[in-house]
Amino acid sequence: MAPKTVSSPATTNSFQSLLRSYNETTLPRLKLIDAFLLFLMLSGIIQFVYCVLVTNFPFNAFLAGFGSCVGQFVLTASLRSQVNPANRAEFKEVSPERAFADFALGSIVLHFFVYNFLG
Amino acid sequence: MWRDTSSALKALTSSHSLPATMSLALRFVFALLAVAAAHAASLSIASPRFTITAPDASQLRSQQLSLTEKPDALTLGQADVLKLTFQVVEQEEGKGVQPHQTFLRFHDEVTGEEGVQPVRVTPGGKAKFELNMARPPTSLPPTTTNPLKVSLILGSFTHSPAQYELFDLYVPASQSPPAHPDEAAFAPRPEITHTFRPEQRIPAKAVSAFFAAFVFWPWLVLVGFWFEISPRVPHLFSPHTLPFTVSLAAFEVLLFWYWVDLRLGQVLLYGGILAVPTAFAGKQALAKASERRLGRK
Repeated sequence: MAPKTVSSPATTNSFQSLLRSYNETTLPRLKLIDAFLLFLMLSGIIQFVYCVLVTNFPFNAFLAGFGSCVGQFVLTASLRSQVNPANRAEFKEVSPERAFADFALGSIVLHFFVYNFLG
Repeated sequence: MWRDTSSALKALTSSHSLPATMSLALRFVFALLAVAAAHAASLSIASPRFTITAPDASQLRSQQLSLTEKPDALTLGQADVLKLTFQVVEQEEGKGVQPHQTFLRFHDEVTGEEGVQPVRVTPGGKAKFELNMARPPTSLPPTTTNPLKVSLILGSFTHSPAQYELFDLYVPASQSPPAHPDEAAFAPRPEITHTFRPEQRIPAKAVSAFFAAFVFWPWLVLVGFWFEISPRVPHLFSPHTLPFTVSLAAFEVLLFWYWVDLRLGQVLLYGGILAVPTAFAGKQALAKASERRLGRK
């Protein structure tokens, strides 16, 4: 991951140190989830930019695609926060397995609605 | 006639069956009507006469009316008075009779306006009608320069009715009749032109294709990251977790199949059926996973 060169060395340094600390402290599984989150964000941004710049012609398709990105992002983010061992104190009554089951169910329902809208 | 009625009544009361009674009653009514029609005389007018006087009481015109030949058209000024006298008689015997209905009808043939004025008739059949243009009756229709056709209509229960064209009458033009508030609704309405929203423009194929390809490069980012991270998934294919993974994949396949082919009821049914093994497999897989996690800790 090459650091982006920004205006001042101070911000570059802080950004680099942030990335380094992230790399070192985060568990591999959490990094997996983070990659997925990044992917979702990028997809959503591209779809939104297309809708704004070019056309929103099959509006239902745009809603389905963008909604799927946003919904899946929300579900995955909640999964990540519930699964993170550092948050164990916050989520006493929700085990990681339960969180994953919720995630799976929520994803399936979301996909169902998205496919309905896709047309 | 009375003999017929009594015999009919006897027949009515003596017969016992209902259809026979009904037909007898009908025949009785028809007989009565036929009797009445055969005896009806026709009405006629005797000695019809009109007089037009000016407001200063000088006589402008006075004439006997003939039922067969119409006189020259009458003209009334702004304050003239028209007096009409006649006697209603039976045609054959010439006896004065008071009919049930005596009307004078003023009809403008060009515009179609008409007015009907009842005329009072004495029991002896004598009738008198006065039209004062200074105070015209409400039954006079709105007039223009067209002549009004004046006709006499006689109606009676006991005599056959009669209608006689008397004369044409020119009166001063009145104000035009008021337009009915609903009149516009009965004429053809203006044509409705619809304006539809213009068709949506589809963007150029090149732009569309470029963006279709462009939207997929995040997948490359994702796959690249996953390979780099490459977390260990030691128990993925164990008999505990595999059914769960497979059923989740089956759900995704079902949803894709729904997008392509299925209908709503079918997908809900299949989804419901698939949910049962998924729930069991999930319970099993996640219980094992938690056991493993707690055991390791």
